[in-house]
Amino acid sequence: MPLRRQISVLSTRLPQRRAIFTTRDIQHLNATVNALVHVSKTPQTTRHDGALHGMTLAIKDNICTASLPTTCSSAMLAGYTSPFDATVVELLRDEGAQIIGKANCDEFGMGSLNVNSIHGPVVNPFQPTDAHDVPLMAHEPRSAGGSSGGSAASVAARLCTAALGTDTGGSVRLPASYCGVVGLKPSYGLISRWGVVSFADSLDCVGVLARSVDTVKEVFDVISVYDARDPTAASPELRKRASSTAESCLPKLFSSVRANTLDGLRIGVPQEYFPLELEPSITSSLRTIIRNLKDAGATIRPVSLPATQYALSAYYVIASAEASSNLARFDGIQYGLRVPPPAGASRSKPSNVYAHSRSSGFGREVRKRILLGTYALTADAFDNYFLQAQRVRAYIKADFNRVFRHPCVHLAHPESCLSADGVDVLLHPSAIRTAPRLAEKRECDTSSIDEYLQDVMTVPASLAGLPALSVPAGLGEDGWPVGMTVVGQWGTDQLVLQVGRVIEGIQ
Amino acid sequence: MIARQCPWRARQLQQLWRPLRSKRLHSERAVREDKRWPGWEVVVGIEVHAQIKSRRKLFSDALTSKPGEKPNSFVTCYDAALPGTLPTLNPKCVELAIRTAIALNAQVQPRSAFDRKHYFYSDLPAGYQITQRYVPFAKGGHLDLSSSCDNLRVGITQIQLEQDTAKSIFDTRRGITQVDLNRAGSGLVEIVSEPDMRSPEEAGNYVRTLQAMLRAVGASDGNMELGSLRCDVNVSVNKHGHPLGTRCEIKNLNSVKFMMIAITSEVFRHIDLLERGQTVSQETRGFDEVKAETFKLRSKEDSPDYRYIPDPNLPPLLLSPEYIDCVRRSMPELPQETRARLMSMGLTEQEAEVLMAVDAGREVRFDGEPAKGAVQYFDCLAQGRSAKAAVNWMIHELLGQLAARKETFSDNPVSVEQMGELVDMVQNGKITGKSGKALLRHMVTSRSTASPSILAKELGLLAISDDDGSLLKNWCLEAIEALPEEVQKVRHGNIKVMNRIIGKVMQLSGGRVKAGDVRQMLEVLLRKS
Repeated sequence: MPLRRQISVLSTRLPQRRAIFTTRDIQHLNATVNALVHVSKTPQTTRHDGALHGMTLAIKDNICTASLPTTCSSAMLAGYTSPFDATVVELLRDEGAQIIGKANCDEFGMGSLNVNSIHGPVVNPFQPTDAHDVPLMAHEPRSAGGSSGGSAASVAARLCTAALGTDTGGSVRLPASYCGVVGLKPSYGLISRWGVVSFADSLDCVGVLARSVDTVKEVFDVISVYDARDPTAASPELRKRASSTAESCLPKLFSSVRANTLDGLRIGVPQEYFPLELEPSITSSLRTIIRNLKDAGATIRPVSLPATQYALSAYYVIASAEASSNLARFDGIQYGLRVPPPAGASRSKPSNVYAHSRSSGFGREVRKRILLGTYALTADAFDNYFLQAQRVRAYIKADFNRVFRHPCVHLAHPESCLSADGVDVLLHPSAIRTAPRLAEKRECDTSSIDEYLQDVMTVPASLAGLPALSVPAGLGEDGWPVGMTVVGQWGTDQLVLQVGRVIEGIQ
Repeated sequence: MIARQCPWRARQLQQLWRPLRSKRLHSERAVREDKRWPGWEVVVGIEVHAQIKSRRKLFSDALTSKPGEKPNSFVTCYDAALPGTLPTLNPKCVELAIRTAIALNAQVQPRSAFDRKHYFYSDLPAGYQITQRYVPFAKGGHLDLSSSCDNLRVGITQIQLEQDTAKSIFDTRRGITQVDLNRAGSGLVEIVSEPDMRSPEEAGNYVRTLQAMLRAVGASDGNMELGSLRCDVNVSVNKHGHPLGTRCEIKNLNSVKFMMIAITSEVFRHIDLLERGQTVSQETRGFDEVKAETFKLRSKEDSPDYRYIPDPNLPPLLLSPEYIDCVRRSMPELPQETRARLMSMGLTEQEAEVLMAVDAGREVRFDGEPAKGAVQYFDCLAQGRSAKAAVNWMIHELLGQLAARKETFSDNPVSVEQMGELVDMVQNGKITGKSGKALLRHMVTSRSTASPSILAKELGLLAISDDDGSLLKNWCLEAIEALPEEVQKVRHGNIKVMNRIIGKVMQLSGGRVKAGDVRQMLEVLLRKS
């Protein structure tokens, strides 16, 4: 039986919120998609009165769980099990959620196609409608996107209700777009990073993926709490201030919780988010959405974020620099892969000894980024690369602050940059294309500049720490999912979800 | 937030020290010829790493440990750099660091930040150390070296918070390196001095004074032998009146004595090179305690690039003037303040010095909790009593008794309350001074917690209640009878012999009568007969 049918048969038979599959079912369904890399053996007993009772979730394999391994899809951590649960995992369990397993990802979150993984690539489980009866295996397999490809695919394949991913430069939004699911990268600092294996601390966010905005919101509301163990966690006062500013600007939107009305809402469409490489069918999807949003009462206006053109370079310098620092701890001494120096090799310095473990343990992409980041931090390059990138980051933030109606609560004098005619949210395509074929990636393995180019749509929000939600927005020319992204001012995650829900509803 | 403007400029490490040094007129001090190296001037600057005496580590909940504890037993997941862990700044470490800055007259910065310093070494589990090299929490300041002959003032460049490393021990027999993470992540304050010292002795004086200061404010126990205070020393030499020479850094000196020997040996090495027409090359050097000489660790060219990066996890450290004031108010007295206060209470300089010397040996308690030392004991004892009597009893009697038993003040079993009552009893004439001393000896020996009045009664040391003087009269008559020859001599005007009769009376009374009373009574009795 084709996978999609199997899934639909199973899912129609059982109520939505039940833990629908046995471990064997999950393993069977997972076999073709390769979304899960560790599956929980037995369902855990969970609280029955929890807000998420009965909800099944997959956790990206770079988020620590004490009951399952946390490999970050790296040979370096193959077989590593953390002694503790991440704060987000604790919070989910406390509310009765069922963790079904760990989701495949790009190694340490580095990649956009989920092919940099010791567990193998994730296969996008989407079935184009014109090929409904063709078994998934018979298709030319497409990428699920990355780095949270396993999280997106496990949700799309209905292996679980929702999944946690992490998003450093688009790692939740891109796979959500490719797999046709909803993916939220919240404001930086709202969800605790305690227990999330760092890639680039100043950019890393835990994100939520699900098949509906409501489910994303349910999970987000549970895990978006202050945690003293995360030094970058936004204080409760700051959260409150940001959300109340948003609510005061749009009282109607927040009072009519269920209504699909957007009266008074101003949506900006940034002109820099339409690169030449953007597939034309995606632009037409956006037009359709915009038309419908206008009908729902929203005002649409073009905006400009001129610093966007530098975002990609700045992102790769900052993310790689932080990664080179964060990944220094993987030396094969206390935990992780250990490759002893071969006979006769120099042991004169600890770094000579570590080099063997690190060279074998890290994959090509990770090694590349560590080298790039290491270079960016050397005394000679620091000014031209790292400091320059930090300056660009400040420009990008300033760009966003200029176009938003809501002030950034992080600023010392938020009111000073208040633009009365600013927009409430931004809307732009999540990706420049639909899911690429996995084979394409293999062909052009060496110089895949395209892979980085894609990030042009997602890294600005990461650099500015803003909430961004990718919502399915119909299908592209090739019949594969297209996603649209809603971006809001820092702390206006609820507003972003609200707008996302309207977009979801008007299709 | 994420709004991380990079707060610091990329500066080379070496630049931190140099410009500051060359801006100053280093020769502003009068030329003093040193017999050891005539014609040469020695310039020394010191970086001191002092372990903060906090109960917990700088960024984790783990308790701090002393050397010699079971290895790897004071370690949390964060200290071991397990993936997924994040730092949480311990406010107690910040408080103690601010005390240090205030004591050193430095400006506490309203905003400072943490950097990561990268290098691969077995004592560094995360591959980086969190430090404040570029945006330290305190800048400027000075330390006065009071006991030096010419009241030297040493400038302080900056003070920063940073993590201590783990300990790695190379087992030569088995050819392996063993790592103990107990110390990993403990808090350190690094105090960087200006190159203001001109001899090994001044350097030694600086470290000793700093040590006393750190102990006094409770910031560190400053124990060099146990490694809670470590020094890196920068040394250069130049001919008098000439520009500064090239400096070398000597790393990880673990005692004041060895530091002074290391500086001396390094000075001779430099002079030797220069006199042979060679140049000194900028190096980092170690010290061989057995050979009493320094050896090359690495040259400037080999110095590692630490790839500093602002720590992306730790927000800037913001310190409000109100908070700094609060720390200032709750701070223990600084040594010079204590000395001045004691002398204003009527103590001589010598008495104050003795008290403070004893006080300096007190235990430094965790998290800056008030310490119980000799000065605090004295302050309590002098409350409502004569300061003079209090200090006399403390220094001469109590400390004397303890010293005789080869005990230190921390072994003192006599509580302030007991001591106070004893002093009062003597002052009020309830017991004689002599009985008081005997009673104190008994208290120190027996470690009794009973009140001195009860003990005095038990020991029969209470002064006789002899209102009509009949008891005294009887003892005097007895003595006169026992010593007819002496009585005869006194009657013939040899007054000195009177003391012998008084002694007899004291003996008969068991010391419970006052010598003055005895003399008076004897005079009356001898005149009569």
